[in-house]
Amino acid sequence: MELIERATRNLFFTGKGGVGKTSMACATAVGLADRGRRVLLVSTDPASNLDEVLGVALGGSPTAVPHVANLWALNVDPEAAAHAYRERMVAPYRGVLPDATVASMEEQFSGSCTIEIAAFDEFARLLGDPAATVEFDHVIFDTAPTGHTLRLLTLPSAWEGFLQENTTGTSCLGPLAGLQAQQALYRDTVQALRDPERTTLVLVTRAEPSALREADRTSHELAALEVSNQRLVVNGIFEASDAYDPVAVAMARRHADALANIPANLSSPPQIRVSLAPHGMLGIESLRALARGDQSPPVARTTPDAPPLPGLESLLDELVAQGHGVILTMGKGGVGKTTVAAALAVALADRGFPVHLSTTDPAAHVAETLAGEHHLLQVSRIDPQAETAAYSQEVMDTAGAQLDVAGKALLAEDLRSPCTEEIAVFRAFARAVDGGADGFVVLDTAPTGHTILLLDSALAYHREVTRQASGMPPEVEKLLPRLRDTNFTRVLIVTLPEATPVHEAAKLQVDLQRAGIRPFAWVINQSLTPLAVRDPVLRSRQRDEQMYIREVVDEHAVRAVIVPWQAEPPVGRAGLTRLMSQRREEQPV
Amino acid sequence: MTTLQVYDPPMCCSTGICGPAVDPKLAQFSADLDWLKSQGVQVQRFNLGHEPGAFTAVEEVKAALQADNTACLPLIRRDNQVVSKGVYPSREQLASWCGVKAVASLPVVSGCCTPGSGCC
Repeated sequence: MELIERATRNLFFTGKGGVGKTSMACATAVGLADRGRRVLLVSTDPASNLDEVLGVALGGSPTAVPHVANLWALNVDPEAAAHAYRERMVAPYRGVLPDATVASMEEQFSGSCTIEIAAFDEFARLLGDPAATVEFDHVIFDTAPTGHTLRLLTLPSAWEGFLQENTTGTSCLGPLAGLQAQQALYRDTVQALRDPERTTLVLVTRAEPSALREADRTSHELAALEVSNQRLVVNGIFEASDAYDPVAVAMARRHADALANIPANLSSPPQIRVSLAPHGMLGIESLRALARGDQSPPVARTTPDAPPLPGLESLLDELVAQGHGVILTMGKGGVGKTTVAAALAVALADRGFPVHLSTTDPAAHVAETLAGEHHLLQVSRIDPQAETAAYSQEVMDTAGAQLDVAGKALLAEDLRSPCTEEIAVFRAFARAVDGGADGFVVLDTAPTGHTILLLDSALAYHREVTRQASGMPPEVEKLLPRLRDTNFTRVLIVTLPEATPVHEAAKLQVDLQRAGIRPFAWVINQSLTPLAVRDPVLRSRQRDEQMYIREVVDEHAVRAVIVPWQAEPPVGRAGLTRLMSQRREEQPV
Repeated sequence: MTTLQVYDPPMCCSTGICGPAVDPKLAQFSADLDWLKSQGVQVQRFNLGHEPGAFTAVEEVKAALQADNTACLPLIRRDNQVVSKGVYPSREQLASWCGVKAVASLPVVSGCCTPGSGCC
């Protein structure tokens, strides 16, 4: 791969979850290490599966990867980093100040901003401080899903501006004192990111219109931040080897169409194309093959077929029983939460119920997916920028109303902090859930890490509410009890029949259960299993799926349904309706 | 010069906008302190969440916390004397403690001098 031959010191892999950026980052790392370069592989993704891909348990300090000389890896766990940070701040006061006071201090460090700051601290330490990585020739970052990555990457300049401009000494940036001390480090981090001699940004995507659009957006946003040395990896491109296999022909055609219509700006970064592998990318040998550009040969698997599962339509009767409520589709980015949410919304509307479909996905394209209109279906999007602007205005109009000019300026200053968006989006989410008291609300949530942060802040707010109930919008007060009420909220975990998506969905379920939220069902999306395929690569992938479908049914799901891979893109009312059933004969060529 | 020290309860930011609902009192208080500074008063503000060391360094503040927990906050000292506990005072109170004259904030009229409007 060209990435390996002319690798810069720092390499960042970014892309929607499930596009294979972990595999690409790992293959590049293994390829470089095999050439005798000393490589450190870093994951800052809260939902990282680096352990799984490399076959070794990783922690916060570099661990040697077995069977690959010169390769070390580490996993930055933002929660653990936040915990360590909290301990550093609070521990000296245990026993000095009363327990209740210490507890109230700890509460301040439980918010999502602390986790963000702590994760970013680690990230800046590795990138901005040359001494931290002096013993390595290359540092490779397998970063978080796009929304999160963008936040991490845009924070340096946001904070840089914020710290310079904030002259009043007040700030919403949590532990600002800690940040100011780090200002030089953050400046160096920004510089390193922008330096094309030192840093390459690798956009990983798939040959699908939505994934390519997402990569295009990321490319733009980062280029605007002067991160200009970019590469594009289009992963999982399929070419049919059997012209008589209708599924194979349709898949190859969909990929070719997507590549032919690649967004104009996205054709400027140098492009690397990678073929669809017959198996999920696990273990060092498959990574070596990927680094060489070889395809690992199909291996016969002996896993018995998973039991047949019903389609999405089998959930409808139970979903409509209450006549109202909230349906949340959750899962890692790229598993098709938006599509499943839209299909359910259309199906509910077809049964004669008024439905509100709302999305908090930063890469929202619900409106695009739902090209056709339905008179009972209302579609809206939670747009973080618009929500932030509206919330800031509301604060200025209420809390800022009686302030003089200087006071208003001070308040406006605080509203420019990064936390404001988090709060604004959260309130919009609570408002959308509130609509479920009267009709049906279907929400596709943001990628996993963000979802957890949202729920986390819901919990923190809930604790706040029980302490003081002043000024809280009622829909926020009701949110968590509603999310926990299985008659009010139905959580659908969406996954793909592949290793990483299933394991990450399982982690998401554990997180939800910790918050007292019990999923209603699992949806296994884009499965080849219900389809008749002949192409050897697709047959191999179909066999691969059995193990993961079994895992879902046996270990994770109370109920599981399956949605077949679609020969036609599932857009519009007709396309979405096709998702509901899973009969084999329905696949058009 | 008069020095005013404010010991805040632990919070994310001193205008209080980080919570799910903004307390107008906090925004007003921040603005009042800013005004006090413009009147030549030296103002220091400590947040228990960020600078707990400032609280434990002063025996009186530490004792108040040990006795009443965070209920004693905000605690305000003028020239090292405690003047107030547990409430956010008004601009007038702040002004009288510091010996400066409180002026109501002036209304701001924009676009006042439209020619011929007769306002100027």
